[in-house]
Order: sequence, then C-alpha cells, then structure tokens
Amino acid sequence: MRFSDNFKIALEALFAHPTRTLLSLLGVIIGVFAVTALISLGEMATYGIQHSLEQVAGRSVYIQPQFKPGVESVRFDADLVKVLRVLPVRPVPYVFSSATAEDRHGQLVSLDLVGTVGDLPALDASVALARGRFFGPREARQGLPVAVINAKAESALFGNGRGLGRELVLNTSGGSRLRVLVVGVVQPAGGFFGGFEGSRVTVPYKLLWGRIPWKKGRFDMIELKVEPGVDLKEVEKRAQRLLELRYGKDRISVQSVQAFQQALSGITLGLQALLGGIGALSLLVGGIGIMNIMLVSVTERTREIGLRKALGATSAQIRTQFMIEAVMLTVAGGLIGVVLAAAVLYAAVLAVPFFEAFILSPTTVALALGVSAAVGLFFGVWPASQAAGLDPIEALRYE
Amino acid sequence: MKPIVELEEVRKVYRSGSSRREIEVRALDGVSLRIEDGEFVSIMGPSGSGKSTLLHVLGLLDRPTSGRYLLAGEDVTGLDDEAAARVRNRRIGFVFQAFFLMPRYSALKNVELPLVYRGLPEGERRLRAERALEEVGLAERMDHLPSELSGGQKQRVAIARALVQEPALLLADEPTGNLDTESGREILALFDRLHAEGKTLVVVTHEREIADRSRRILHVRDGRLVDDEVLG
Ligand SMILES: Nc1ncnc2c1ncn2[C@@H]1O[C@H](COP(=O)(O)OP(=O)(O)O)[C@@H](O)[C@H]1O
Ligand SMILES: [Mg+2]
Repeated sequence: MRFSDNFKIALEALFAHPTRTLLSLLGVIIGVFAVTALISLGEMATYGIQHSLEQVAGRSVYIQPQFKPGVESVRFDADLVKVLRVLPVRPVPYVFSSATAEDRHGQLVSLDLVGTVGDLPALDASVALARGRFFGPREARQGLPVAVINAKAESALFGNGRGLGRELVLNTSGGSRLRVLVVGVVQPAGGFFGGFEGSRVTVPYKLLWGRIPWKKGRFDMIELKVEPGVDLKEVEKRAQRLLELRYGKDRISVQSVQAFQQALSGITLGLQALLGGIGALSLLVGGIGIMNIMLVSVTERTREIGLRKALGATSAQIRTQFMIEAVMLTVAGGLIGVVLAAAVLYAAVLAVPFFEAFILSPTTVALALGVSAAVGLFFGVWPASQAAGLDPIEALRYE
Repeated sequence: MKPIVELEEVRKVYRSGSSRREIEVRALDGVSLRIEDGEFVSIMGPSGSGKSTLLHVLGLLDRPTSGRYLLAGEDVTGLDDEAAARVRNRRIGFVFQAFFLMPRYSALKNVELPLVYRGLPEGERRLRAERALEEVGLAERMDHLPSELSGGQKQRVAIARALVQEPALLLADEPTGNLDTESGREILALFDRLHAEGKTLVVVTHEREIADRSRRILHVRDGRLVDDEVLG
C-alpha cells in the first residue's frame, strides 16, 4: 500500500463527519491553545517586565551604605558624588524620608519625601514633567523651599491638575513643619512598575539636610546613571573597587537591576511551567476524547474494516490507517489551537499596553504540534489495535 | 487439467457457550474436494449446512480447524495473517450477498479498492478499474455512488471489484439473494460469460435454477459433502 493512500483514506474518514470531527477535536484544540498561549504569554510578560525594568532602572547602578547593627554606617557626602564622576556615569544622589500633609478635606496623607539635585529630568530620562518646571541646581544647592510632586500626590492633595503654584505644608519625620511651593508636576512612571508608585514629593536635598537633623550632610543612596555604550557590569566592578578603597570592605552595597531581572525570570519560568501544566492536562483530556471518538469510529466502521480485510488489507495496514487518522486528527486540532492562540495573543498585544510585543516563537509552535502528534500516536494505539484485530468474517456480519 | 483447489479432510469447529456446557458446532466435518482450473461450480444445501463456511475457507477469510488446503498447488493452510491477506488480495475475488460497497465511494473507487492494498499507483488503478467496469457493462455508471445504483448494478460493481484483482478463484456467496429475478438473471448471464472466458467460479446458492447454470453442483449437508453432481 502506498503511504499517500493512507492519508487519502484518513482524510475521507475525517471529512465524512465534519461536525463530529471538529467536536472531538475540541479537547486537543483547547489543550494546544492553552499551552501555546500560556507559554507565549509568559514570554511576552517576561519581555514586558524586563523592558519596564529597563525603563525604570535599566542602565543604573545603585550604591547604598551597608547597614550593620552596632556599627555606624558610612556617610555618603557631597564629596563622594564628585569623586564618582571619574566613572563614565552621571551620579544622582538621593535623601529618602517621609512626611504627612493635609489634603483639601483636612485628612492626613502619607508622602514619600525625597531630596535630590536640581534638573533631574536632564539626568534621568524616566523623569518627565507634566506641568511646571523642575527646581534647578542652584535652588537645590541653596535648599530653597520648592517642590516637585508626582501626579499621584497631586490628585491626593489638591485634585487632578490643581497642584501647580500651590503651597504645601509638610510634617517632616524630624517633627518640623516645612512649607514648600509646588513648582512642577511629574508624569506617572511608565511601564509595569508605574502602578506601584506612591505619592511622592521631591525637594532640594539641602532643604532636607537643613530640616531633618540626622540627615544632615549625608545621602541615603546614589544612583549611577551609566552612559550609553558603557558596560554595566564593568561600571559595577569599578564602583565597587573605588568604594572599597574609600570606606573599606563590606561597608557598601553596589547593585544593578540585573540581579533583580534574574530573580524575576526565575519566577516567570515557574509561572510558565504551571501554565504549561494546565495545558498539558487539557491535552490529556483531549487525548482521551480522541481515543473515545476513534473507538466509536472503529465500531461504526466494523463492516468497512471487514471489507478492506476481505479485499486484502493486512492487519498492519488497518492499524497504520487508524494511527494516521488519529495523528492527523490531533495535528489538525493542534494547528487550529495554534492559530487561535496566535489570534488571542495578537489581540492581547493590541489591547494591553503591558504586552509590548507579539511573541510566538517557532519553538513554541513546533512544541505544540509535536505534542499534538504525540497525543494522537499515544491515544490512537488502542483504537487502531481494536481495528487491526477484527476478524474479517465477524466484521462483515456486524450490523 | 490442473487443480486450483484441493481440500483434504477439512474441518471447521465452532465452540461456544461456557466451559462447563460447551456447545460444539461442526460447520465443516471432513470435506475433501478438488476444483479444476476453469470450472464453474455451485454449492447447494439447506441453511446452516456449512456453505458459507466452506466458501470462507476457500477464500482464506477463515481458517480450518484441521485438514489441508492447497491453492493452485501451494499449501495455504498455515499462512499467517499477513500472507493470507496477500493471497486474498492477489488470487481471490469475493462477491457477497449484501454487495458490501463503500457507500461514500463512486463505483470506480470501489472497484479500485483491492488495488490500493496491492500498492498500485493511482493512474494504473483507475485504468484497470475502468476496464473491469466496462466488462460488467457499467462504463456509463463509473462516477455513481452505490446509493444511485440499482441492486443489480451494485452487484455488478462488486463483481467488477473482484474481477479487477484478476483472481485465480472467483467466489460468490448467494450473489442473487438480494436481487429481483430480472437482476438475478443479469448476474447469472455475467457468470456464464466469465465461465466462457475461462474463469474459475464457485457460487453458493440454495436455488436450483441458479445451480443449474453451473457445470457441477456440490451438495452440502451438516458440514459434509453428500453429493457431487456433474451436469451435462
Ligand atoms: N462464528 C460462528 N460461531 C459459531 N457458529 C457458527 C459461526 N459461523 C457459523 N456457525 C455455524 O456453522 C454452521 C454453518 O454455517 P454457515 O456456513 O453460515 O451455513 P450456510 O451458509 O450454509 O447457511 C451453522 O450451524 C452456523 O450456525
Ligand atoms: Mg450462508
């Protein structure tokens, strides 16, 4: 028997009951759809998260004093910021504190109070002004009472679009009251992490140094914005060495976003395995569905099988015919599943800003189709053996 | 003349029922038989006498419980499934009472079917099937589905399907049993012609009128050959 004839016979059988064929395929379609969509969604989410991370903190190295109980932490001062300029980076120092303020109804709102240098948008591309201006380097050095707030703080304190030019009274963690003028509003941070942003008030670092005694003369963190074309890892190493020389070993923590990214991709990998497992389960159910419909088909076609045997088909040829039928069935289901998944993924990219790119890797498609073929091979064995084992005379007598 | 079929003491025993009260049916009870090349033989006997069983054994659709079967001088008694299928495909043509056509296949595709299992390419299959259908007078009906054919035409498609195999032995089990008298006559005329062309035919029937067309009648009763009647 020619191999191509096997395919023709299988196709005839599948198209003999198109509706039933399609229905019997549902399990496999859903299974392959799930596996494909979920694996790809995982890849797309990983891409989205990493891309967002890079937007927020992609090309930065963060240095902070290491905290150890009983040991006084090192002091990051203005001089360190100057020293760090020997590296191919733009150092941006921060003082972190917190404050409360009354909103327009007299309710207290918690705020992140951040002190930094002037003209931050020029140093950090992720900071973008919505309205007004950022305080300049001179205002920062002189510690003038000006503030830039983020959109979240604006809506909490004043209402959307009503913060600019207003006076804000902050109760600092130092216990003092601090009156500042709102000169600018920054846009919410983009990407995935924008959603986690708190209400934030940014003021000249000198202002905080003057108002909170224990912050005086020190920064809590320095972000090193790495110049384009410079290797992040290399900068990390050089910063580490420089700081060790200045402060000694193990007093400073130097971190980039890469470590975080690794942890994150570990999490998504686990997530993908879980989602893939759900898909595999539906494939199992789908496979049993295929086996069931094939058994029905063998019973229905008992006389046909008897006739084919009477005309000279060997048991092996009958077995092959039903195996091919099962595999064609599941691969067809797999193809439909992949196409459905592609459509849904594409829709997700269009509808959800977080998914920035449509990713359907050839590996995923090959895996999906390979798995569907395997399901057909595995679940076709029993029905095919039933068909092959039929006695021709009994089969022809079957009503 | 050389024998096509030689049966020696062939028995076929069906066992059924539980192991305590086993029922044994001797469908064939020691049949010995020779059929020469080109003979037209009919098998007669009452219902349940073993006619179909004998035909199935001759067609390698069934295996005898004991005895020996030589087909054209070759012992085919102990052939395995694969080899028996090959012999069925290449040397035996079968015609059934209920036609057994594939309902979704055209007449032509039905006739091609045995050649599919012979591994012939489509073009050659088609050519041979067309010739076989012409031989049974259905050149005009090749593309018709079985449902679009009369009973007599269906049976002629089935005969064409047997002829396309160019079998050494053409076996028919009550081929006119499902047909009206007129269609039955057509089929018998076709058998006459095939016999005249030198084909070897074995036809099971319980109608004397049909058996009279053949040259030799084997009478079967209770699984035994009781009479071997040669007609003039
Ligand atoms: N598969 C079977 N199992 C049990 N008994 C059978 C089977 N096939 C046939 N028989 C019995 O064998 C005998 C001969 O049957 P069969 O050859 O079909 O008779 P005929 O064709 O002459 O009517 C009958 O008694 C029948 O019941
Ligand atoms: Mg019978």
